[in-house]
Order: sequence, then C-alpha cells, then structure tokens
Amino acid sequence: MSEYTVINSRAVRVDTPDKATGKAVFIDDMTMPGMLYGALLQSPLAHARIVSIDTSKARNLPGVKSVVTAAEAGLVKYGVSPARYDETLFCHEKVRYVGDDIAAVAAVDMETALKAVSLIDVVYEELPAVFTIEEAMKAGAPVLHDNYPGNICAEVHSEFGNVEEALADCDLIKTTTFQNKRQDAAFIEPQGCIASYDLSGNLTLYSSTQVPHYVQRTVAMVLKLPVGKVRVIKPYVGAGFGIKASANPLELSACLLSMKTGKPVKMNYNREQVFQYGRARHQFTHTMTTGVKKDGTIMALKHLCYLDGGAYSSFGIATVYYAGSLLGGPYKLPNMKYDGYRIYNNKPACGAMRGHGGVAARACWEQQLDMIAEELKISPIELRLKNMMVAGDVTCNDLNMSSLGMKECIEAVKDGSEWTAKKGKLPKGKGIGMACGFFVSGAGYPIYRSDTFHGTVIVKLTEDGGTALVYTASAEIGQGSDTTFAMIAAEALGIRLEDVRLESGDTDFGVDLGAYSSRQTLMTGHAVKEAAEDARRQVLEVLAKELNVPVENMDIKNSLIEFKQENVDFTGLRTRYSKEHRGWNDNPADGPLTFREASRMAYLSKGSIVGTGKYKPPELGGKYKGATVGTSPAYGCSAQIAEVTVDEETGQITVDRITDAHDCGLAINVTSVEGQMEGSVSMGLGEALFEEVKFDNKGHVINADLAEYKIPTMLDMPQIKTIIVESNEPNGPFGAKEVGEGAIMPTIPAILNAVYDAIGVRIHELPMTPERVYLAIQEAKKGKTS
Amino acid sequence: MLLPKFDFHEPKTLNEACQILAAYGVKAKLIAGGTDLMVNMKKKILSPEQVISISRIGELKKLDTSGDSIRIGSCFTVADLSTSDAIQKHLSALGEGAKNLGTPLIRNLATIGGNLGSARPAADLPPALMAYGAQVVLNSLSGERTLSLDKFFMGPGFTAAKPDEILSEIQIPSLPPHSGAGYINIGVRKGQDCNLVNVASFIALDTDGTIRNARIVMGCVGPIPLRASSAEKMLIGQKPESALFSRAGAAASLDSTPIDDFRGTAAYKRDMVGVLTRRTLDIAFREATHRQ
Amino acid sequence: MKKLIQLTINDQHYEVAVEPNQTLVDLLRYQLGLTGTKKGCEMGDCGSCTVILDGKAVNSCLVLALQADGRSIQTIEGLETGEGLHPVQEAFVEKGAIQCGFCSSGMILSAKNLLDQKSNPSETEIRRALAGNLCRCTGYQKIIEAVKSVPQAN
Repeated sequence: MSEYTVINSRAVRVDTPDKATGKAVFIDDMTMPGMLYGALLQSPLAHARIVSIDTSKARNLPGVKSVVTAAEAGLVKYGVSPARYDETLFCHEKVRYVGDDIAAVAAVDMETALKAVSLIDVVYEELPAVFTIEEAMKAGAPVLHDNYPGNICAEVHSEFGNVEEALADCDLIKTTTFQNKRQDAAFIEPQGCIASYDLSGNLTLYSSTQVPHYVQRTVAMVLKLPVGKVRVIKPYVGAGFGIKASANPLELSACLLSMKTGKPVKMNYNREQVFQYGRARHQFTHTMTTGVKKDGTIMALKHLCYLDGGAYSSFGIATVYYAGSLLGGPYKLPNMKYDGYRIYNNKPACGAMRGHGGVAARACWEQQLDMIAEELKISPIELRLKNMMVAGDVTCNDLNMSSLGMKECIEAVKDGSEWTAKKGKLPKGKGIGMACGFFVSGAGYPIYRSDTFHGTVIVKLTEDGGTALVYTASAEIGQGSDTTFAMIAAEALGIRLEDVRLESGDTDFGVDLGAYSSRQTLMTGHAVKEAAEDARRQVLEVLAKELNVPVENMDIKNSLIEFKQENVDFTGLRTRYSKEHRGWNDNPADGPLTFREASRMAYLSKGSIVGTGKYKPPELGGKYKGATVGTSPAYGCSAQIAEVTVDEETGQITVDRITDAHDCGLAINVTSVEGQMEGSVSMGLGEALFEEVKFDNKGHVINADLAEYKIPTMLDMPQIKTIIVESNEPNGPFGAKEVGEGAIMPTIPAILNAVYDAIGVRIHELPMTPERVYLAIQEAKKGKTS
Repeated sequence: MLLPKFDFHEPKTLNEACQILAAYGVKAKLIAGGTDLMVNMKKKILSPEQVISISRIGELKKLDTSGDSIRIGSCFTVADLSTSDAIQKHLSALGEGAKNLGTPLIRNLATIGGNLGSARPAADLPPALMAYGAQVVLNSLSGERTLSLDKFFMGPGFTAAKPDEILSEIQIPSLPPHSGAGYINIGVRKGQDCNLVNVASFIALDTDGTIRNARIVMGCVGPIPLRASSAEKMLIGQKPESALFSRAGAAASLDSTPIDDFRGTAAYKRDMVGVLTRRTLDIAFREATHRQ
Repeated sequence: MKKLIQLTINDQHYEVAVEPNQTLVDLLRYQLGLTGTKKGCEMGDCGSCTVILDGKAVNSCLVLALQADGRSIQTIEGLETGEGLHPVQEAFVEKGAIQCGFCSSGMILSAKNLLDQKSNPSETEIRRALAGNLCRCTGYQKIIEAVKSVPQAN
C-alpha cells in the first residue's frame, strides 16, 4: 500500500492512447503549407580532398529552390563537447567518412531534390583511408584532423591510490581482454525534422530529438542566429537511445535551407542513412588486470581501453572517460588506474548510446570477477556481496553512492530465479549466470561549462480553476517522462492525475538539458515538484487569508481541500465562486471545498497562479582531470541473472530467461520502470548475441538495414522477470532516481557468465554469434586434447 | 525512398500475361508478392521499365493434391503453404521451409514462384522442393515446358526461365511409401533471419528398411542450391542409423562450396552442413518410418 | 501517368489517382492523410508499416498502390469503435505495451490479425505471429502480456 496518492502506481500513461490509435504525431506525419523537401549530398568516399564543387546544374533544375554548401553555411565548428568541436555543417576541404555531408538541396518535391543532389558535381582527390585503430595509429598514417596527430582524438590517464603497489600485495591477479563491436541504436523512427524560418527572422525547428536545448544552442551558434530567435520543438519521438542527443546535419541543413528560401523545409534520414550517420556505441577493446586477496577482497584494477571513434568526436570525449570512471563502483575498489584512448578513423563517428562508455567495460569486468570467484572457489554472488559498497560510500574516484540497493537487487534475483537450485546443477549445455551494474542518474555537469539550471519548469493553474498546466522543455522519447512529470506534479500539488495537462519538448518552455545520461526523472522531476509545490503554496496562502486558517492546517488531496482543524466555514467562498460563475451549472453545491474553487479564489486574489521550479545538482566530484564525467547526484543499480541453453553443435545460444532487479530509488510509474528494465535487457541481449555494424574495405556500412543488422525479434527474447527495488534516494524527488541505462549494464555479462556455465568456455568478444561460440568450443576442445 | 518509374500491367489471365511479357521481354519484370522485386527496386539494383503483376491471376493460386503429383500454382503464398494441412501431410519439409521464411508479414505476400524465380542462394523453399524432386512449369506464347528444379537455377538471381517465360506451376511427383524429408535452416537470430546454411534431406526406404533413394540439398553454400551427391551415394542400400547419418553429414560438408562472406566463414558453413545434414536425415527417417 | 483506383479503407470507399511507382504506405500517409501507419525502414524489415490487406497483415511499404485497387484495407485508424478503443488497443494501453509508440500501429494490427484467426493463442504463437514487428523499446514483454489479456469470445 503506497503512502502516495498518485505516484508509485501503475497509472496509465498520458500519451499511449494517442499512440495506440495512430493519432500521436511524429515528425514525418507533419506537413506545412508551402513546405519544401530537402536532401543531402553525402560523400561516397571514406577519405578524400574536395577539389571542387559545382552546383550550377542542380540550381538550374526546375523545382529546386536552394542549394547550399560550406560556402553558404559557413565554417563554424560544432560538435557535442566544446572541448572537441571538430565538425562543420558541410565539408569544405575534405571528407572523412562515407556519408560525410557536402551539400543540401531544397526542392518542391523529394524526387526533384534527389535529382538535384545527383547533379551536384564534386571532384574528389581520394586520400588513403584508415579503418581500424591499428591502421590509424601507425606511424605515417593519414591524419583525419590536423590538430590531432596520430589520430588520437582524446586520451585519459588517471590513477587513484597506487595500483602497482596494491597488485604486489595481491594473492590472485587476473588479466583479460574483451571486445564488443560497434552497435547501432536501431530506433524504429529515423531522424527527421522540419525547419521553418519566418518573415520576422524567427526560426522554429521541429525535430525528432532527445535534446531540444542543445539543438537550439547548436543551431544558433552554427547559423549565427541569436538564441532567442531559435525555437526547437519536438513532436512525439520514436526513441533515441543517445543517438538523437545532439544536433545533426539534417537539422542544421534544414534550418539553413529554410533561412535561404523562407519556406518550411522537411528532411529525413532513410534507414541506410541512419546507419551511415552512426553516433551509436563505440567498439571498445578493454584490457583489465584485477588483483584480489585470497578471501576475495578486491584490491586493485589496472585498465587500458581503446575506443574506435570514427571520423568525429561526437560524445567521444565523455565516452572515453566513462569507460574508466564507471568501474569505480559498485564494489569497494581502493586502487584504480585507467588509460583510455579514443582513436579517429574514416568510419562514421561513434557517440553515446544507452549506458554510454560503461556497458562494454562492465561486461569485461563482471566476467572477470566471475573468473576470479571460480578460482578462489567463492560463489559469484558471495564475491560481489563481500565487496559491495553501501549507501553513503564514496568511490576512489569521488563518486558518491547516496543510495545503493545493490545487495537487495542481488538477493531479489537470486530468489527470483531459483539460482541456488540451479547453479552447478544444470546439465551440460544449460547455464545460469549473474552480474551487476550501475549508472549515473543524470550527468553532474552540463555538456558545456555553465551555471545554468539543468531543468526549469513552470506550473500554471488555469484561471477558471481546476487544472494544472505543466510546461517543461524536457523530452518524452518513449521512456514515459511526460507521464512521470504529470504524476509528480499531481502528487506535489495534491490533485488527481486527470487534472494535470502537460506540454513538453519546446525550448520556449524553459531550459531542460533533455533526455540523456538518465537525468530526467531525478533532475526535471525535482523542478516539476518544486514548481508544483510553489503553485500549491500560493493557493493555500490565499485560502489561509480568506478562511483565517493557518496554512499548516490545510492540505490538498485528490483535488480536494482537507482541513486539519474542525469547523472551517468556507460557505462564503463557495457562494462567491457560484455567484461569479453565474450561468455555469457544474458548480459544487456541497461536499468538501474543491481545488477548483480554491485555485479560482487564488487567481481572483493574485492573478494567474504560476509556480516555478528549477534544479541544479550541487558541486560534485573530485578535483582531478575528468572528474566531472561519472559524477551524478545519484546512481541507479541493477543485478541480473540469465539462463541459457547452448546448442554445442551449432553454437546457437537461446536465452531462456532473464531475472532483473533494479534499484530506481522509488518508482514514480511502476509500469514505466518495468518497461525500461525490459527494454534495456533486450538491447543488452542484442549486443551480446547479434549486433555488429559491418564495413567493407572502402568504409561503406555493409549491413545498413534491419535485416542484416540484427536486433532481437519476439522470437529471440525470453520472458523477463522484473523486480523493482526502492532504496529511497535522498537526492531524488520522492526518492526517485534512474532506470533507463543502469538496467542495461548487467545483461551482457550475465549472459557471458551463463554461457560459460553451460559450456565451460569463456568468450571475450561480442557478438556471441553461433559461429563465434562454435569456434570457441572447437578451440577449447583442441586445447584439451593437445 | 523512391521507386524508379515504370509502367504497370495487371493481366487477368496467364495467357494475357504471356502476351505482355512477350512484347517487352527483358525490359519487364514480373511481380507477384513483390517482397524481392520491391526491395531490389528501392535499392536501385533493378529498374525495369515495365512491371507485370501476376498476383490476380486465379489459375496461378491453386493447390491441387488430387492427382499423381501435387501441383502448386506459382502465386500460392508462402503463408498458405505454411498453414496448409495438405502440405504439412505430404510435403512437411516444404511446410517447414515456408514456416521459416522471412516474417509472417512477408509470408502473407511472398509466393512460392517468387521464392524460386528470385533464385537467391539462401532461399528457404528450393532445398525442400529439390529434395522432393520438384519440377517447374514454364509458360510463354510459344507453349509450355516442364523443367526439373535441379536444372532451373543457374546462379544467384538467374534461372533457366527465358525472358518471355512465366513460372506458372510447381509439380511434385507423388511420394513413395516409407519416405520422408526434413528441412532445417540456421542463421544468427531466431526471427526473420537470412539463412547462413540450410539443408533439406529426403530418403525413401525399401521394404527391408534400407535406404533406396536419398536426396540431400544444401542452400547458401554455392551459387545455386547444391545436391550433396557423395553423401547421397553413401546412403544408398544402407540401414539408416545415427553413425551413417553422421558420415553422410561429413560427406555433404565436402560436397559443399561455401565462401567467406560478411555473414560467416566458409569453414563454419561447411561444418554446419554436416550438422544439418545429419539432423535432417534424422527427421526424414522418422517421417519415413511413420508414413505408409 | 496516374491511374484511378478504387479501394476501401477502414470501411470507407476511396477513389484516388496514383502513380505506378507509388507504394501503398505513401498513398496512405501522404495522399490520404492516414499517418498512423509508419515508415521505419521501407524495406519490409521492421513492420511499422503493417496494414491488414484483404484480411492479411502485410508490409504496406512492399505493396504498390496499384496492387491495392479493388481491395479492402484496415489501418490503425480503423480500429477504434464508436465507443472507444478496440480491445487490442485497450490492452496495449492498459498493460504498458507502448513506449515510444512508433512500432505500435503495426504491432497492434498484427496482434489483431492474429486474434482474428486464432483465439487464445499461446505465448509461442504470439511470438511467431509478431516476429515481423520489431520493437526496440519494450523487449516485447508487455506486448505479449497485452495480447494475452485481450478478452476473447469463446
């Protein structure tokens, strides 16, 4: 029985009825009068100098309204992090990957736009290209960016404690190398946008984005417009998973074309272009050396990581930090050394994708911990529990676990999966494995250095009373944030969920950094709560004066006013309300005083009742370089157990069941939290077993479609049992913290450990396709017989 | 994503279709379910000037099990193959291929004729059909001819059908008693996968229980579906049992000619031919012992 | 050159002029304003363009508009009854089977098509029937629960 009225329930989401009926509007569903269609000219070569661009034939094609290249766009550098602005909207001197953007066309229809693109003559001087880390780092290799010699986009070197000293004192030291592959987010809705520049110089960009704020800033910066003249609005978005968390060339091109033509311009990526644009998970190569005492105490971790970054930085500078910093927890680890390198090469850029740099690192380490547990003859669960941090502990790299329900998560999955009955007792070919993980609940700092609030919210009560309007610039991208915020507002105000109307995703509503780093529930949620409480306070203050009752003796619940004292006579107020609503016949006649009447009274007294809320985390983290990456006001954590069957003759893996426990602090919407857990597991399963973006030797993506890039289908997913753990996060609104990314962390290692349990063979490279598993089994057999 | 421009024809009879095809020859492409042609047109691999739809021609959609042979119209959908009791009863390996082809949505459009005519080395229906000894009927204005499926496939995307011929029917001769077949395909994931290796096996037993006849067809391991001839020879006259089937699998592996490609290595595919051959022979044997 | 075709969509008769190279999904979305059917890949891989064509769930991105001449189509817009959501839509909403919603139109129609042909399908039958509809948000868990929960006439 929840102590709350609205939150911590399975309220039906506010957006899903429209999504179930086809009414929900996504970007490609939109059309505007006079709208033009835009298309991009993208490089067919991985690395080449642009000798000349001739757009004359394209410009002269009937129906073409504008053709733009770097000459029109300018050369303002942009990217994700100001520390690595290494892109321009269009290439001007050279192209760096197949798909790099060279020009854009706006025309009366798509056919004309595409024809015009084909008429743009570009003369290239092909340059030698590099496609792997090894090739890119070789002496004399072609350099992609002149100011990054050796193609080293970013490097990180950090040490906490003294790793060599600690290792010397260890009883067991284990070293493993692990590699995942470049992934694609494979959201079902490709990127798209409509830009509309009006006659007053106001630019409105509608876009399928996770981050209206960052897009607004980037558009203004690159196209040299005042920020106040740029408005970004997101319609419903068909998911993003991090790839839509920064401005893209589509958005910038459409804006520029609209500025040139004075007409709205619509642009989309087709599915192949989505793959070619990339910006999803890097390929990481991790080498980890862990030292433990013979009783299982973890003493030290030495960690080297190479990231295959692609042609531009995107989120990469944060990624290379996250890959190291997120191993500081959830186990007590006094000594940690990390050396990370992100390398440029002539493939599409990689960026941030669900779990960011933490996923492959966690997979490597959780498998290694299992190997250590086996050698020490300690159970994997015992090893983890023995080293687990508790709420209030701080990692060696200054990450503060203000709440950490990790122990509860482990116990929940252990019981929920019948681990004890199965572990060590399954027949050959069947296995069970477990793993843990955690993630930030919002990055501690914005991507650009700033004192800005991370989220601002306005709650306005309708003047005729009764409805609270919530305005937030945050991004509902499918995770359920609109509903979460409506529920928080309703709870904090004391009104029913149906008396809240929420609008989101519009930069005119305020500042919100958007949906990335799992920040919105905690950060925007705080701002919503504050704004709602502000509105509530204003209403109660007016009531207190009118009724001569102290504010502390009043409460709002279920859209009704509750009095904690006897004999409060509000008939005067009610009469006044009815009188000045003469003609309306739905005025309350008897019963408790309603929120509707109270907020009407407040309006008559003060004018429009507007509550404002804002959130900024406190100063977090240590004083070392890169300390900001990994900091967060809170951390969500998760434990998972996977059960698998392996067909040893073919190498095919069937995941039979996943049991998943996640500590989200407090579940605002229980169904949404479960949904995010289940979705995370499916993405982790896909990366573990099937997913890999493949290239030919000229830098083209070979499998740029959803047939050859294999995400799990219904036939590949098992039943997922979800268990919510609530540790009541002190820094979270109502105790809530993240679920969207922490939940993906244990999936891959749980499956890796289960596969080992089934066939006695360790696999250190993803994806675990049937062929890879089969080969590993053959190798192991050879090893045994030789 | 735009399709190329073309003229569209929708003949109501097979004869009408032959006339239109004769007029345009290589400038035309036939469309039935469209699951192959539409994708190729969108990818700009094919840009026919004329597209001739045969999907409304009633005579091409029939399934006739009344005679000596089973006759399937070329526009019979893969979905209908997968749910047909008659197919499950008489041609279970074909039914299995149909069940595993693409997705349920694709199966509602895709046709048996299309899966043969598109001649993809990884296609799901050819192995079982060849294992059953199927023939195809090709119609043109000059008449009709029947061709064994063994001689139909020429290379990836190429068949023996002439530019003015329409594949109208697939005929499978009635099966001897004590015969059975099996089909298995493997890929990377369980749903909606392009096959990495697929194998169909057919065996017919003599009255003394030895193998009188065997056909093993391997897909994905050559430019066209291949017969595992040495594996088949090894089985004739032998008593069916596990060790024999394993040896046949090893022989089939050597009969196969896979290549390394972005989906998998030749070595893995070769090994899987061995495993799938053995497993499909098992299925075929079980069916053979149950069939009167 | 455009050709005039007749078709029934959601029990309503339409007469429209279409180009030979126009797909059914483009006809629905851009010419008829029925934007509930989505385009996720245009290659028949994702299922977000699913419509029910003469009683069969198909990828409308692989069907030419001309091939729909004289035929009957149901899109997501045609599921609501006069009284509210169709039971399948209701179940999806109740069970939390919708997150970003982009796969939902196709998923709901495939589910409806399954239930029209088989009542009380098993979990395996549901997974098989919906294997052509990709979802990246839900892990399919609540979608299966939703389909199982749809009230079935005996």
